[in-house]
Amino acid sequence: MVAVRFHGRGGQGAKTASRILGTAAFLSGYVAQDSPIYGAERRGAPVAAFTRFGREPIRERGAITHPDVVVVADASLLEDPGARVLEGARAQTVLFVNSSLSPDALRAHLSLPEQVMTRDVTGIALQQLGQREAISALLGAVAARLVGLEWEPVRQAITRELEDLAVAPPVIEKNLTVAKQCYDSVEPTGLHKGGGQVISAAALHNPIYEPPTKGTARISAAGNSVLRETGGWRTFRPVLVAGKCNGCWLCFVYCPDGVIAMNQDDRPVVDYAHCKGCQICVHECPTHALVAEREQEGGEAWTAK
Amino acid sequence: MWQRETFKKIKQIPREEHVLPGTALCAGCGGLEALRLAAKVLGDHVVYVNAAGCFTMLAAYPYTSFKGSWLYTTMGSAPAGAQGVRDALDVLIAKGKLPKSEDVKVVVLGGDGSTYDMALSSTSGALHRKLDFYYICYDNEAYGNTGMQLSPATPYAARTATSPCSVQHPAATAQEKKNIFEIWRAHRPPYIATVAPRYPLDLEEKFARAAAFTGPKMFLALSACPTGWVYDPGETPEVAKLAVETGLWPLKEAINGVVTHTYIPKRKPVEAYLKLQGRFRHLFEPTVHTDAIRHIQERVDAYWQQVTKEQA
Amino acid sequence: MDSQMMTGNLAAAWGARLADVDYIPAFPITPQTEIVEALAKWCARGEVAARFVSMDSEHSMMTAAGAAEVAGARVFTATSSQGLLHAFEVLYSISGWRAPLVLVNVSRALAAPITLESDHNDVLAARDAGFLQIHAETCQEVLDSILMAYRIAEDERIMLPVIVNLDGFTLSFTREPVSLPDPEMVRRFLPPFRPSHLGFTASSAQALGVAVIGGTSYAYFRHQVHLAARNALEVHGEAAESFHALFGRRYDLVEGYRLEDADDVLVMTNAGASKGKAAVDAARTQGKRVGLLRLRVIRPWPAEAIRQALRGRRGVAVLDQNLAPGQGGILYQEVAACLYHEPARPRALCSFIGGLGGQNLSAGEFHAIVEQTAEAGVAGSGLGPVLLYSAEEHREMTQLQMLAGGHA
Ligand SMILES: Cc1ncc(C[n+]2csc(CCOP(=O)(O)OP(=O)(O)O)c2C)c(N)n1
Ligand code: SF4
Repeated sequence: MVAVRFHGRGGQGAKTASRILGTAAFLSGYVAQDSPIYGAERRGAPVAAFTRFGREPIRERGAITHPDVVVVADASLLEDPGARVLEGARAQTVLFVNSSLSPDALRAHLSLPEQVMTRDVTGIALQQLGQREAISALLGAVAARLVGLEWEPVRQAITRELEDLAVAPPVIEKNLTVAKQCYDSVEPTGLHKGGGQVISAAALHNPIYEPPTKGTARISAAGNSVLRETGGWRTFRPVLVAGKCNGCWLCFVYCPDGVIAMNQDDRPVVDYAHCKGCQICVHECPTHALVAEREQEGGEAWTAK
Repeated sequence: MWQRETFKKIKQIPREEHVLPGTALCAGCGGLEALRLAAKVLGDHVVYVNAAGCFTMLAAYPYTSFKGSWLYTTMGSAPAGAQGVRDALDVLIAKGKLPKSEDVKVVVLGGDGSTYDMALSSTSGALHRKLDFYYICYDNEAYGNTGMQLSPATPYAARTATSPCSVQHPAATAQEKKNIFEIWRAHRPPYIATVAPRYPLDLEEKFARAAAFTGPKMFLALSACPTGWVYDPGETPEVAKLAVETGLWPLKEAINGVVTHTYIPKRKPVEAYLKLQGRFRHLFEPTVHTDAIRHIQERVDAYWQQVTKEQA
Repeated sequence: MDSQMMTGNLAAAWGARLADVDYIPAFPITPQTEIVEALAKWCARGEVAARFVSMDSEHSMMTAAGAAEVAGARVFTATSSQGLLHAFEVLYSISGWRAPLVLVNVSRALAAPITLESDHNDVLAARDAGFLQIHAETCQEVLDSILMAYRIAEDERIMLPVIVNLDGFTLSFTREPVSLPDPEMVRRFLPPFRPSHLGFTASSAQALGVAVIGGTSYAYFRHQVHLAARNALEVHGEAAESFHALFGRRYDLVEGYRLEDADDVLVMTNAGASKGKAAVDAARTQGKRVGLLRLRVIRPWPAEAIRQALRGRRGVAVLDQNLAPGQGGILYQEVAACLYHEPARPRALCSFIGGLGGQNLSAGEFHAIVEQTAEAGVAGSGLGPVLLYSAEEHREMTQLQMLAGGHA
């Protein structure tokens, strides 16, 4: 059995990518299974999805704890502890990251498995599809290639899954063209089959009664959501162009998350730890003093119309 | 002519934040934008009583975004929860078990699905009992949390997950949006207002005005939703602006049942609004559904003709 | 202490009154309505210092009740049957909030077909809701159980809501002498409600009833509800001691009737147990050694007390006044489960279903139950579920069917 785990941010299409791979494997004659994790998180928050396939009936369900391949839709997830991208990854695990950086550049500040591959899928999507987020077909194609599936079933799978999402036929065509490009840009990897793991009995804790102040689902630490950083959700960051701001406060007023504060001189200060990168401020700034810059080095800058 | 008295300038909007970041809501959520602005007037001595919906995620163990208090109830009974909290505070204060200075405002926070549908009985009950509370409905015109299914707030011709468009139903949603404002108004609460966060001074002013009334203070907030309405999150204010400027989302208030429009738009054609959103794309692609668009335009025109007639 | 004639419903209202509750949200339903009518009257006259509010449904009523409790008030409310089920999702919320209110349920069979009279499918549907459950046999016990319920619920070791159950009609509308406890002594028994984990105030904000993400937190909080409910076995004992000392009446988790030398035992709950006791007496006059075990506290499940009472018996009959279609009696299953590891478990465990929707349980039927249970005990084989239906009932039903079918 091959187990592929997809990590993305809500809206990037990790779930659809896992389905494309599942369908492609199914069409290739394998026994296949795919499933997403349903968090309560929305667009931008870390999500995961899982595809398994093989020749034998699959006796596993739910989250993949020991992936053969990990596909990461957004490089910022590597550093987001909430995303747990590398959990259960072994030395042989193949890691694919959507990033404009080289594997070595990523390795510079992260400890990663031996087989790491990167491609700037977002860059390709921006260039060729003109969209910020729709990369499910591209990721699905890459994953399918990595695990050695033929193009034809992948092509069919992309068509089916995008049709299912009511994507217009011309858009599907475009996606197929770009997906093929992504498919061809990587090589099948030699997958090491996760041999029989030795499993020992888990250490069990014996639950005891705790006073209701602790034992009730209650939060007395008012406003503690600031401890949860959402800056990693961004693909683009709003950046202030010096000298252009007229101090009108509109960015501060319209920011849904309240992450823009006006300083003494009435200039916006963005809390990048929490800014989700919605770009409302960039859109609404009357003097275009705020511009959107792609989070990753090497990416092309995106500015509001 | 309606005049703002408290909030005349943008820089009067309080700097202090009461709904803190780190939420699990979508980037660019128009409902959160409305709530954040409302909270700037409501302050922190508040208990939000929530119905199941996207905003339930604003307090998810172990984090809460509120400096004030919170109680999640059910999808169908947040106003009844507000009744319980309000009554309990009143009784405890009356019995001397709680100092008056510890009192808090009670604010229901519910989506349109809850508000227009399941919680209608409990809302009607609370209105009927003249409960002293605020009600904020963030109206994203669908069941958002469950993935954007048809709600009675979904406007005519919007595509949702359960009102797809097909050959038989080329316009997708066949029903008209339920008029919750009038349903509320039939109960004669002291204060009702519609707001749109793209009009922040109008919004802040209405929350400030509402504070003078004892009894139900009802707010219907336009909550442009990039995820469900299918547009780029950065366009949330633009979408809200067009909703108001086309006349589709009238900004108004009703004091003891007497309606005043707080802003009279010049009324752009509705296409401008519809075109921006993926949920209406089928009206323009592959062919243009002139009938459906005209129908929407006629409904808006009829509404504003009525307004003009009443004003005259 | 003076006694007076009162219905089970009025006794319930007195329980709330003596507990000095702060808040009563209400909604009418037969056979419960008399409770809230009495409380409405007392509140209107200022005899009870509580706020009484007529709600728009039981779903709203339970939400308001739970929310008020969470805000720090002592809350009482009452419902029955359809009302309990209408409020069902809220029951789980309230126990999850750890809001220790008291709800009186007046048992009434569930639609369809709609009917007014009692059986226990309503209250037992809520057996997994995280409420503790006390099922009363007499009007006095209704009142006393409400006082005990507040004391147990509000204990820091528990902080869970309680349902006090009484049978519709056979108890709710039945008058019998009830002794009213002295309010001053009730105050000694029941300290003021000062929860450390609840309340909304300007100076200390908190988020309650919050969502959790993932099974780790969810399982933890559900375990806590379970552990709290288990604690009630001990706390109930303390409350029973103290109640006995102050008021002279003693209520345990289960009540044994003529059990000492009994070969065979009848297991019952609620007001029907009075008839069961009469059947025991009748059997005894015929020289049969029969006893009765009345299950009073259903949640937490008093497994140990049940094992002790049934250890070494010959035949045991569980008479369920409920029916789980496709399965049988609800309490039978629970009794059977807790006897599984008992080495000296009864030789036969028999299941009888009777008294559905107020259906009469005749002395003759009890006689048959006693006989069949003794036989099963001798044979060492179980029996049932036996659907009790007399030949007379069958004749009557046949007549009705002919009328309904136009063949009369
Ligand atoms: C009784 C009940 N039925 C269904 C649900 C599932 N549910 C949770 S949130 C939700 C959608 C609520 O829609 P809305 O009120 O519009 O708020 P939004 O999700 O858009 O924020 C639904 C249907 C529920 N929580 N409770
Ligand atoms: S789905 Fe819409 S309403 Fe819900 S959080 Fe996302 S943007 Fe806000």
